[in-house]
Amino acid sequence: MNFLAIGTEIAIALLMLIVLAADLLLPKDVSHRRIGVISMVGLAVILVYTFGQYHIGASPTFFGGLFFVDNYALFFKQLFIIGMLFTILFSLEYTEKLLRYRGEFYVLLLSALLGMCVMASANDFITTFVGLELMTVSFYILVGARMTSEDSSEAAVKYLIVGAASTAVMLYGMSLVYGAAGSLVFSEVCRNIHLFYAAGLAGVIMVIIGFFFKLSVIPFHMWAPDVYQGAPTPVTALLAMGSKAAGIAVFMRILYTAFPILGNFWLPLLAGFAALCMIGGNIMAIRQTDIKRMLAYSSIAQAGYMMVGMAAADLAGMKAVLFYAMLYVFANLGAFAVLTVIDTERGGTSRRDITGLAQAAPLLAAVMTISLLSMAGIPPTAGFAGKLYLFTAVVERGYLWLAFVGFVMSMISVYYYLMVAKAMYRDLTPEEAEYAAPVYVPLTVRAAVLVSVFATLGLGICPEWLASLTNAAVQTFMR
Amino acid sequence: MQVIIFRKGIFMGDFGGLGIFFAIALIFPVMALIPAFLLQPRQPTKEKGIPYECGVDTVGKTYVQYRIGYFLYALIFVVFDIETVFLYPWAVRFGQLGLFALLEMFVFVGILAMGLWYAWKKGALSWK
Amino acid sequence: MISFVEMMHLALHVGLPHFLLLSAVLFAIGLFGLFTKKGIIAVLMCIELMLNAVNINFIAFNHYMPATDLSGQLMALFSIAVAAAEVAIGLALAFRIYHDHHTVNVDDLNHLKG
Repeated sequence: MNFLAIGTEIAIALLMLIVLAADLLLPKDVSHRRIGVISMVGLAVILVYTFGQYHIGASPTFFGGLFFVDNYALFFKQLFIIGMLFTILFSLEYTEKLLRYRGEFYVLLLSALLGMCVMASANDFITTFVGLELMTVSFYILVGARMTSEDSSEAAVKYLIVGAASTAVMLYGMSLVYGAAGSLVFSEVCRNIHLFYAAGLAGVIMVIIGFFFKLSVIPFHMWAPDVYQGAPTPVTALLAMGSKAAGIAVFMRILYTAFPILGNFWLPLLAGFAALCMIGGNIMAIRQTDIKRMLAYSSIAQAGYMMVGMAAADLAGMKAVLFYAMLYVFANLGAFAVLTVIDTERGGTSRRDITGLAQAAPLLAAVMTISLLSMAGIPPTAGFAGKLYLFTAVVERGYLWLAFVGFVMSMISVYYYLMVAKAMYRDLTPEEAEYAAPVYVPLTVRAAVLVSVFATLGLGICPEWLASLTNAAVQTFMR
Repeated sequence: MQVIIFRKGIFMGDFGGLGIFFAIALIFPVMALIPAFLLQPRQPTKEKGIPYECGVDTVGKTYVQYRIGYFLYALIFVVFDIETVFLYPWAVRFGQLGLFALLEMFVFVGILAMGLWYAWKKGALSWK
Repeated sequence: MISFVEMMHLALHVGLPHFLLLSAVLFAIGLFGLFTKKGIIAVLMCIELMLNAVNINFIAFNHYMPATDLSGQLMALFSIAVAAAEVAIGLALAFRIYHDHHTVNVDDLNHLKG
């Protein structure tokens, strides 16, 4: 047994237990910031450790190949750890002020992270299922973590019902695939010709539908806006970047390694749903007044863009998806760090609450604008490079119409992203003078937003650095 | 024909006998209930219609809310009870698995113990 | 056209199709209840039905499979544990929304919209 292969997961699990013990030993009424600091330091160490795991030769495995630590999995693990690290950083103040169960919050964040990391490495349906459930079950609680908010509990109930039902559908699909193919290991499933029988096909369709629910692909998206709006703001950030990226990581692995012989069947399906997501997500985002709800629809559209790269189904497409997932994390970090401060200071995230932010906190307004422009794909932000990679990859595979839809919809998305910028930068009327009062921005938030802005602009100006990392990530995938 | 139908192996699989047993078992209570239903004199009164509660009149509403304490116990019980599902396969193969599996199980139970410690410390086990 | 004898044979010999039919029916009942029931407890029960249908499927497939691998049973074990965790959270949330919204009716939870 090669325990080094699951070193990342063991370290995260240990960190989780340490944080839990720290919470239990700490007196109730003292500040819980130090628990957040412990988890951040731990995550930083783990992040550095994962860089050492990149390799050129054969990938280390665990449990006889069921747990597969290739560069692709490592890339996604780093993405999750970065997202989690900076989310904890900018939400220290929010957690301290607005949440009642602060220690548990950090423990659950880490357990969600553990689930995501397991998902990224999963090489069979059991590991996939366990990782997925560890993540979603943690998120059910995290979404309802704001005890004083009725929206939070409503969102948690909705998420639980839809999440559990979609889990059941996906599991039923897995059982049919198991019955047809005689195995739960991806590489064995793909070898079995019985997958072409009716039961196998039904199973494949149900697994795909289950993932569409988890990724909130239109028309399985109805839970996402409500959940994103009701959840505590840092949790919304993690739902948008972590949960979605984890879903994409394992969905891509399943499609490419377990069901490749059915490619003719799911490729057009994927392209169609990608177009549906981009169109529906962007159009429905226009009329939203709550920024979190708008970002929920926007994240549906972003999932659509990433599915464009998946529909290309080659190395260039995969690289583009990885690149886009990473830059989306940085864009999200910036936007949600700002929203978290707004939520803490002004008690809401509607468009009215960000009015006059340019005078109240110029740094936050600038960060928000740059992050949203990156999501829209305007140069010189990283979003432009990401979309360029995605659309060139898919055009080379002959889906010109898909790239066209993506391009037009990106243009439309600029409109609602700039509506937010307009609310922040417009002149205030005399009645609104109170909005110009300075907003307290903690040092931790400043650090988080500066990192996100530098990453967004840096990756936009010289995308080669991340591109070479994605290159290394996909090299070990197709073996 | 008779012979073929009831010869084991052609019609009666593993569960055929069980099905016949079930059908016969169903006939007996029905045979007891139907004559009683047909022969009984019907004279309903209000007194007879009220719910039976040990022969005395019912007091208060029958719908009562339980204390939340029961609920917390039940939740904790469900979670820890289900975890034993993983202990059984391990216990069955304990002899062949050796020391490594024993250590693994200590890790597993240790994590569960952390959960119990948490529940204890947060007061979920104390009856308030 | 199958004869009476063959029909009886199919009906009385319990095999893989019977288990699959049972699990499909259970799953369908759960799915139907999920869309029609309003109380959150009933909805949770329906989800539990669906998950148990899956367990039947896994174990039946595993039993009738020619090769000796136990991954189906293993999956059922994990599925049971996860279902218990989900239900524990679901019950806690049911208590929470009763406290917050004074209802356990899922249809009445319509504050979030836009």
